[in-house]
Amino acid sequence: MAWDPIFWLIFFVINIILIALNIYQIVCLSDLEADYLNPYDSSSRINSVVVPEMLVQGVLCALFLVTGNFYMFILTLPNACYNAKLFMKQQHLIDVTEVFRFLDAEKKYRLIKLAFYLILFVVVLIRLVFTVVHHAIDHDGGIHEFGMFD
Amino acid sequence: MGTEDPNRAYIPSRPAPSPFAATQSIRPNLLTRPMAGPDASVFRPTPPPQQTSTPFSSSGPVGSGPAIRPNMHPALLTTTPFSSAGPVSGSETHEFRPSYSARSIAPSTNVLPPPSGPPTSGPFQRFPSPQFPSTTQVPPPQTSPAVQPFFSPPTRPHISTGPTVPPPQTINTMPSCMNIPNSAVDSSIFAPRPNLQSSFSQRGPSNFARGTMQSAYQAYPGKQPPVVTQPPPVKSAAFVSHQENYHASPPPGPTPYLSPQSVYGAPPVAPSTGPFSREQMRPTGSGPPLGPAQGLIEDFSSLTVGSVPGSFDSGIDPKALPRPLDGDVKPKSFADMYPMNSDSRYIRLTTSAIPNSQSLVSRWHLPLGAVVCPLAEAPVGEEVPVVNFASMGIIRCRRCRTYVNPYVTFTDSGRKWKCNICALLNDVPPEYYAPLDATGRRNDLDQRPELSKGSVEFVAPPEYMVRPPMPTLYFFLIDVSVSAVRSGMIQVVAETIKSCLDRLPGSSRTQIGFITYDSTIHFYNIKSSLTQPQMMVVSDLDDMFVPLPDDLLVNLSESRSVVEALVDSLPSMFQDNVNVESAFGPALKAAFMIMSQLGGKLLVFQNTLPSLGVGRLRLRGDDIRVYGTDKEHTSRIPEDPFYKQMAADFTKYQISANVYAFSDKYNDVASLGILAKYTGGQLYYYPSFQSAIQKEKLRHELARDLTRETAWEAVMRIRCGKGVRFTSYHGNFMLRSTDLLALPAVDCDKAYAMQLSLEDTLLTTQTVYFQVALLYTSSNGERRIRVHTMAAPVVAELGEMYRQADTGAIVSLLSRLAIEKSLSYKLEEARNSILLRLVKALREYRNLYAVQHRVGNRMIYPESLKFLPLYALAIFKSTPLRGGYGDVQLDERCAAGYTIMALPVNKLLKLLYPTLVRIDEHLVKALQKTDEFKNICKALPLTAESLDSRGLYLFDDGFRFVIWFGKMLSPNIAMNLLGDDFTTDYSRVSLSERDNEMSRKLMHLLQTFRECDPSYYQLCHLVRQGEQPREGFFMLANLVEDQVGGMNGYVDWIQQIHRQIQQNA
Repeated sequence: MAWDPIFWLIFFVINIILIALNIYQIVCLSDLEADYLNPYDSSSRINSVVVPEMLVQGVLCALFLVTGNFYMFILTLPNACYNAKLFMKQQHLIDVTEVFRFLDAEKKYRLIKLAFYLILFVVVLIRLVFTVVHHAIDHDGGIHEFGMFD
Repeated sequence: MGTEDPNRAYIPSRPAPSPFAATQSIRPNLLTRPMAGPDASVFRPTPPPQQTSTPFSSSGPVGSGPAIRPNMHPALLTTTPFSSAGPVSGSETHEFRPSYSARSIAPSTNVLPPPSGPPTSGPFQRFPSPQFPSTTQVPPPQTSPAVQPFFSPPTRPHISTGPTVPPPQTINTMPSCMNIPNSAVDSSIFAPRPNLQSSFSQRGPSNFARGTMQSAYQAYPGKQPPVVTQPPPVKSAAFVSHQENYHASPPPGPTPYLSPQSVYGAPPVAPSTGPFSREQMRPTGSGPPLGPAQGLIEDFSSLTVGSVPGSFDSGIDPKALPRPLDGDVKPKSFADMYPMNSDSRYIRLTTSAIPNSQSLVSRWHLPLGAVVCPLAEAPVGEEVPVVNFASMGIIRCRRCRTYVNPYVTFTDSGRKWKCNICALLNDVPPEYYAPLDATGRRNDLDQRPELSKGSVEFVAPPEYMVRPPMPTLYFFLIDVSVSAVRSGMIQVVAETIKSCLDRLPGSSRTQIGFITYDSTIHFYNIKSSLTQPQMMVVSDLDDMFVPLPDDLLVNLSESRSVVEALVDSLPSMFQDNVNVESAFGPALKAAFMIMSQLGGKLLVFQNTLPSLGVGRLRLRGDDIRVYGTDKEHTSRIPEDPFYKQMAADFTKYQISANVYAFSDKYNDVASLGILAKYTGGQLYYYPSFQSAIQKEKLRHELARDLTRETAWEAVMRIRCGKGVRFTSYHGNFMLRSTDLLALPAVDCDKAYAMQLSLEDTLLTTQTVYFQVALLYTSSNGERRIRVHTMAAPVVAELGEMYRQADTGAIVSLLSRLAIEKSLSYKLEEARNSILLRLVKALREYRNLYAVQHRVGNRMIYPESLKFLPLYALAIFKSTPLRGGYGDVQLDERCAAGYTIMALPVNKLLKLLYPTLVRIDEHLVKALQKTDEFKNICKALPLTAESLDSRGLYLFDDGFRFVIWFGKMLSPNIAMNLLGDDFTTDYSRVSLSERDNEMSRKLMHLLQTFRECDPSYYQLCHLVRQGEQPREGFFMLANLVEDQVGGMNGYVDWIQQIHRQIQQNA
């Protein structure tokens, strides 16, 4: 399919955005811990990107479904569900008044998420490369049946 | 009598060392914790003063051990060597020799029937109750020989111990007693001497604590120094008290006994001998304890639980249970050990002995931390000295920013100083230089309070300001909806504000402003040029704006007449208001907009549930079905994040919100209180406010809030030495960074608790220093830093931690932790967490001693924590944690929770274990001086048995008075106090001064009680015996020792704890 490389490129970009947002939050938390940032600024910065991150993640998940990448969809679904649950319970934002009490937990949560996104990043990257190569070879009339995540 | 002159007793020649002495003398060094029992005692006699000065040496009583032995039955002795320390043994012994225990329990009341002795029900307890300090036993042994002639046994049994024992028994023992004096008694008495002397000599030359410690330390490497530095005076006091005791007048309180033990730090001392000798006697069934126990100072206290198998008796003598009838007893010994420490009213550690390793921390199951009340009111003459370094700048450590304090050391002939917290060598500024004398102390020590006092206040130079010091600012946000009008709240508030205008701190800089609100927000222009205030109404609640840029907040002295006019007209302006809505959220936002320039104190008077605009709350009420489920806690936390966000914004702009909640219906105090919690404020709750009844209370508390000395735009940080770190903070504040507490306003009624943890696995230092620094703006516009410094020894053994424990601080931390837990878990779980910690702690303690001592059925606990079980029970029954759905109104529960989170230790203890005194006798008697009055008013145990139906009782928990009229109280008294109303329903009667002596006296008495603790006004509730449900609500439910509504009584509680300790022990 001609669209595949483009899809994977989109996934790739979205993934990078997710990683960037996550790293930004982690940096804010570490700054807070090291007293470079006061809790007001820190939590307002983090809170300002929490919902965008969730939305982007949801979009990614939906895109996987729409484009028929079911394995990838299932891989990202739990994360999306968890986000939805947090949002429903209104627990997705950082509580500025108690930020220090939950600092460690929040950090850990974001690190785990970062690790997940990195794994996803590797997978997406591989798929992107394969698809592009596949596509190129296809055009050249080369070998088929190359994919590993179909 | 022998004891009268302890010194005389010292003189006797040293007893010949017992055979064991040589071999066992090393033992103390090996033992990690102070040991009682023969071991220690054996070692004791071995002379070297250094050793005796060590805690273990716990000289005195111990010495007697070996000494006795020859006289007694050596074989027996050796077989039961560790036989539980003194008091403890009582319980065991009483089976055999009931008379013995009886004696100790009620020395002055029980006349012992001769041979068989009275059947003492009493489990023997070490410090049974203040009146009968068990230590009384101590002197007797010593004196017995000498005294014997005076007491012909049966006639004056109450004098306790030796002589009192029934004749037949004494016959046996007498001889031995007689023999002892030279050997046992003397030796025992002798032993302490080195101890005393050494400590004296160490302390004498220099009152520099460290000097003492060091010398002590050398003397006994294995031990922690502080223990050694025993303040001699206390000791002697203890001695004296013993003597007095002996003379039959029991000392008023347990304190004297406390002191010996804690002072010694090495409790093992006396107790060992006491029990020891008793054990000895046991097999023979003969006489009294011979052990000339010099102090019966023991490692632990104990309580017999579940005595004789097969008997239905619980085995606990309720009279013998420890009760904090003297209120808050601060550990004295520690203050004496480190005289330069900040006073305990400012900072209290849960244990003054800091554990040196993680493993030790994990065995200390109680909270480890501190309770700090940085601005506690100091009695006249002990105010915190103010130091002004002027241009020199405040002397601080370059690296860790510690302020100069008494524990820094000067070296290099005074040119450098070494930080006590991070050990960095700092230069002394030339202006601050002073030469050192021969001992290394600065010559100008007397003129520099910062180098000799634990608490000082520095005047901060401009570097400590991010903006010019703010003026004091009071902003009033008053609900004027119909319920506020009807209850009369507006009237009282307006009157009180007016009466306080002259007394507001801050003199001519004070700023003031008002907003009232119902369904709309009313702003008041009180510019000084106006003659009448102008009211502006804003009804756009969704997009709040401030109609005037300034003039809503004005300088009080300039606009005084306008402000007065406004306050005067407030009640009448709204008297016909029938608006039931309350736009609280928008009003809060408006106030925030006005105040955000300056910060200050916002006083919120909220009468109904916020119903309009942002922050509206719903009647989520108290759903009974929720209780017991995982959702239970949600009703105790704020529903709308708006309030948390608002609180955070307030703190950011240095605004402190004090919330006054009045309502007869659900008011969602949980949500409103959060405003106070995160802004360093305070929540006042007046359920069903009616000005006719609660006017005085509101007036007093509001006036105090407005006029007490307040510190503005403050931040507080507590620094501590390397290796330890404060990890969590509990109280009304907001954390601005990991260890910086932002406190927009602080005053003397607020305390903050914090928990400590070890960063390193092992602490290598011998002392840990803590420094609390509160940077604030005083009411007169001066930037100041209040610094409290404290040193605490590092110890390697658990026993020492227990010995130095401070019940008050522990209770304060425990209750705060439990309340916080109740905000995210079920009440049940919050309560159980306390019980679990208590049980674990006591079990750990028991394990410490179970091996060496026969603890058997006794529950053992450290003397320092003897009240802890009772206080834990009181926390169980306290308003925030009590029962379930039906026991306390939700609002009341939340309000009490917020209150306790800010309460200083002494007030918390009073709230948990209120004072109950009988007053009718004093009212009838002739007029007495107040101080005498106080002495006569003896606090009674909080149990229904203390209430005599012929009496009149006053119950005072610091927040309210309950006056209980017995059924058979003389009508005369009731009539004098209440006039003709005395037969009617007491809920409608209010107490007021009447024209007779008795009534005046009562009022005077109440006044005296109120003055003891002015932070809250105790409203008087009158209750007649048998008048339900009022009696149950006001009185019976608060008798913490009784079994109320499915919750344990004190005796059952002890049994429950004991059972749990023994399970999986």
